[in-house]
Amino acid sequence: MRTVLLKAAATFLTIGATVASALFVTSHLKNPAAPLQPPVVNAGSTAAALGGTLNVGPSVQATDVEPMTSTYAS
Amino acid sequence: MRPDGPVASHHFEALGTSCSLFAGGQSRTRLLEGEFWVRRLGARLTRFSTDSELSRLNRNAGQWTGISDEMEVILRAALHAHEMSAGLVNAAVLPSMLAVGYTRPFAEGPTVALLDGARPLPPLREVLEVRAGEACVHAGCGIDLGGIAKGWMADRLCEMLGPNAIANLGGDLRAVGPGPAGDGWPVGVAGVTLMLRDQAAATSSVRRRRWGEVHHLIDPRTGLPAKTGLDEVSVVTASAFEAEVVAKTALLLGPDFAPAYCAAHAMAWWLAGPDDD
Repeated sequence: MRTVLLKAAATFLTIGATVASALFVTSHLKNPAAPLQPPVVNAGSTAAALGGTLNVGPSVQATDVEPMTSTYAS
Repeated sequence: MRPDGPVASHHFEALGTSCSLFAGGQSRTRLLEGEFWVRRLGARLTRFSTDSELSRLNRNAGQWTGISDEMEVILRAALHAHEMSAGLVNAAVLPSMLAVGYTRPFAEGPTVALLDGARPLPPLREVLEVRAGEACVHAGCGIDLGGIAKGWMADRLCEMLGPNAIANLGGDLRAVGPGPAGDGWPVGVAGVTLMLRDQAAATSSVRRRRWGEVHHLIDPRTGLPAKTGLDEVSVVTASAFEAEVVAKTALLLGPDFAPAYCAAHAMAWWLAGPDDD
């Protein structure tokens, strides 16, 4: 008899904890559309350049400003 | 951070090319001092003057020769460039340069090319030894510091010009500080303007200093002018010295390997082949 009562109590506690957790989670949902991981910062781009292919990484910014000086073959 | 004061600029011809200096909040005198430094060091590093420090080192091949502090640092940089590039940037290129006819300043024109005598270059560490205050070039070998010296000098010069400056020595350039408007220095790379801040750029090419089918960029694996399928490479890296090494290495690697190499070593890169204008 005592064993049956212990088993019933353990089962009740388990089911109760599961239900309480489920209710807590559903009532505290912040943003269902939130991404699981932060987005990757701009992983680079390809800019229009003189022939060839210019690849610009995230640590360099392209602009429309006139250049003050340039790199070139000499 | 906004720059302090207006940007002073100064342009001059040295090292066989055009040089430009810009500095925010500095006097023009500081820029003139920079030009003087370039000319003074350039005169010691050129192979075209028989009484330069480099020519003396090459002339004394086979024996230890006393060298200046700057020469020691640059020779060590050349050894470092050789290691960085897995042997593709090799300052022991002088015999090949002479063989292809690049025997005097390019403005005076090349001489006859004798390509039959060209040989693969030996590993630089086997023919150049450097220790405190002296260096030894092995007999039969010769050093041409070329672009390595330009990149190294652009880095040092930029530091000398202050915290907000850019030094461009024949296309090897280094930019430090916030630039004229606080968002970096606008620098042209392959026709596109990039904002550089504490960054550098360099270009390696077989399109310039070219005569007929011959040009000045030697492939150390053959000792002959490079034919890799790439004609010109520009890169942005952290220092002008590094940019010079990465650009030349990428060009010598050719179109199959250069993209991956540049992706690993450069912040921005431009690759052009023979059909790209």
